[in-house]
Amino acid sequence: MGRHIFHQFICSIALLICCWTVQAEGMSSAHLNYILHCQGCHLSDGAGTPGKIPALRQEVGRFLQVEGGREFLIQVPGTAQSALSDNEVAGVLNWILDNFSPAELPADFVPYTTEEITRHRQPLANVATVRKGLVAQLSTTGTNALLE
Amino acid sequence: MKWLDKFSENSARSVARQSSRRSFIARIGTLMVGTAAVPLLPVARASNSSRPPAPGESGDPESCDYWRYCAIDGFLCDCCGGSYNTCPPGTTVSPVTWIGTCNNPLDGKDYIISYNDCCGKSSCGRCLCNTNKGDRPVYQPFLSNDINWCAGSTVDVAYNCSTAVVLGLAVAES
Repeated sequence: MGRHIFHQFICSIALLICCWTVQAEGMSSAHLNYILHCQGCHLSDGAGTPGKIPALRQEVGRFLQVEGGREFLIQVPGTAQSALSDNEVAGVLNWILDNFSPAELPADFVPYTTEEITRHRQPLANVATVRKGLVAQLSTTGTNALLE
Repeated sequence: MKWLDKFSENSARSVARQSSRRSFIARIGTLMVGTAAVPLLPVARASNSSRPPAPGESGDPESCDYWRYCAIDGFLCDCCGGSYNTCPPGTTVSPVTWIGTCNNPLDGKDYIISYNDCCGKSSCGRCLCNTNKGDRPVYQPFLSNDINWCAGSTVDVAYNCSTAVVLGLAVAES
């Protein structure tokens, strides 16, 4: 009987530790920044609104498959003109790519760094034209043409 | 009915033969402890954690001073046949939204608030609030709440009123 009680005691302690661990988990600062600075338009699942707001989910990683696409993601209005610091932009971009479009990332993908954001963070004069050019490149590489 | 009496008696005697009062008490005790322990399981907590924590509510949700409205710009749905969480009948919630944070005076914590507009009917016209915490001029469009968010949605552009939905605690792990 004593052994039985001992086992119950051990199980209870293990349960308490599990519960505490689950409760202690919070969201990352990159995720919080996504909610506060991006989600209002791109939505919580990155779906966007066809014809109005570009989808991130299963799309955004494709831009890294073509030349200029990596810089483009730093220079789109929502990124370049956001109120986030360069360090926070790097975190949010990496979070978006990891969570919404990991399958589309090239095999040699390396995460964005703060220095890279600083180097390329200037808004594009004509974002629609640049985007069109990148999408045209994507269709010649055999990838499905994106993207509203 | 005689067969029923006999059946009941036999069943009761059979149970009495096979179990002691002590074992009965032990089993009931185990059942009670087990039932009490189920809500503590991490699986149950994990499924709940996807839902935003319910903040304490105090004050008048039809007043601009209500804590959820710290950055609102528009008519309160609470005064228009809806609530701070729901659109009035006949309108559709815009998925595209203005998101900010407000401090809840009850627990002193910051919560993420989504000011989803309700669209498809003309302006409600009641309880206009313009509290604007964190709002920036329209030349900083990503931080301006003067935008009609119904324009970015799939529904009609007509704006009716604004909700103030809590998405969760504005706390990131360090």
